[in-house]
Amino acid sequence: MPELGDRSRAIGPQPIGERSIPPPAMLAAADRILDLLVQRSCAALNALVVEKAAAELEALIDAIPPVTYASHKIIAHAKANDHYYVKARLFGESTEPFTVQLRLGARDGQWLIWEAVNLTGGRTAWTCQG
Amino acid sequence: MQRMIPVDRLARPDEIVLVPVERIREARIDQGLLPNNVMPLEEDFLKGRLHGIATGEMQAMEAAGRTLFDFPDAPWEFQLDMARQVWDESRHAEIFAKLLEYVGSYFGEFPESEILWSCTQVDDPACRAAGINRGLEGLACDVFEQIIRMGQKMGNPIIERAVDYVLADEITHVRMGSKWMRKLTEGDPERLRRAQEFQDNIDALFNFDGFRTSKEDAPQVPLVLGRAQVDFDATLTISRETRLLAGFTDEEIDRLMKAAARSSAY
Repeated sequence: MPELGDRSRAIGPQPIGERSIPPPAMLAAADRILDLLVQRSCAALNALVVEKAAAELEALIDAIPPVTYASHKIIAHAKANDHYYVKARLFGESTEPFTVQLRLGARDGQWLIWEAVNLTGGRTAWTCQG
Repeated sequence: MQRMIPVDRLARPDEIVLVPVERIREARIDQGLLPNNVMPLEEDFLKGRLHGIATGEMQAMEAAGRTLFDFPDAPWEFQLDMARQVWDESRHAEIFAKLLEYVGSYFGEFPESEILWSCTQVDDPACRAAGINRGLEGLACDVFEQIIRMGQKMGNPIIERAVDYVLADEITHVRMGSKWMRKLTEGDPERLRRAQEFQDNIDALFNFDGFRTSKEDAPQVPLVLGRAQVDFDATLTISRETRLLAGFTDEEIDRLMKAAARSSAY
């Protein structure tokens, strides 16, 4: 939708709710987890995953080509009650970007991985041509 | 261009998180919530419900467009109706995008479910008309009637009227679906049976395991909606009056009510 400017100066109905802001601790945890994925740091990542998602995380780490990626960027996040989906891309110099989607949820004050999915080569912003 | 776009290939910009419905349900169960949908009493109910509808309108627009494209040999009048529906759904998507802004949300705040698009995965226009126009748009009639009542209880004419405008179109879409389900299957009872079965599967998919009732039977719970606090339905209600306006028969509505009641027994 186009940006309509300062709503408080507009005539007409004003919003009845505020936008919610994702918890900074969640975004910090996502950055840390993505750094660890870039490094394929299995031991550190295994300490940040709930048991039910451990196999999914292992498969994701296995799918990341070794010693290829150097940085990451969070491209989307979406709220699922108190959990958050985080979609991110890993970048390296001589390789195609690798796209992941995690679901993070806090347990005992620590943000943990509840889902880990490899989205590389999946849907794009364009309907495929055939 | 490819016909029958599979669920995992539905195009979306990067900033949208599109998730299979099974995973959305799993995320809810992991948090001790009911699996099916954002329910009254949840903190994000109003935003979440409007977001679910907004993304549903977007997928409904895409689905009608794909039905037009996927069946080039369908009768011209059917194609015209689908084109008309694309136009309607695009307006609905815009209306709900503005409503999201109004309640302090935006496209992409919550994950988008793949569920509506999964209902397009059938290679027969009669099944599409039955499943999408009668099954999903029938559900929309129920959901919208409930939101209109919610807007009235909140004393909020913006939500009430905006959704009422959309509901008027949905009623025509259901009627359109009924017309084409019958016309496309004329003289072919087996094809009609398959189309009705496809719709039944979709109705069952949205049965919400017993959390659907008539509006008269809905338990009332206190809710904070925007800046208003009201007593409102704790269930997703089935609206007999709206469904009758849309051309469903009393027998069909009774069947839906019975299926919902049966689920609640488990």
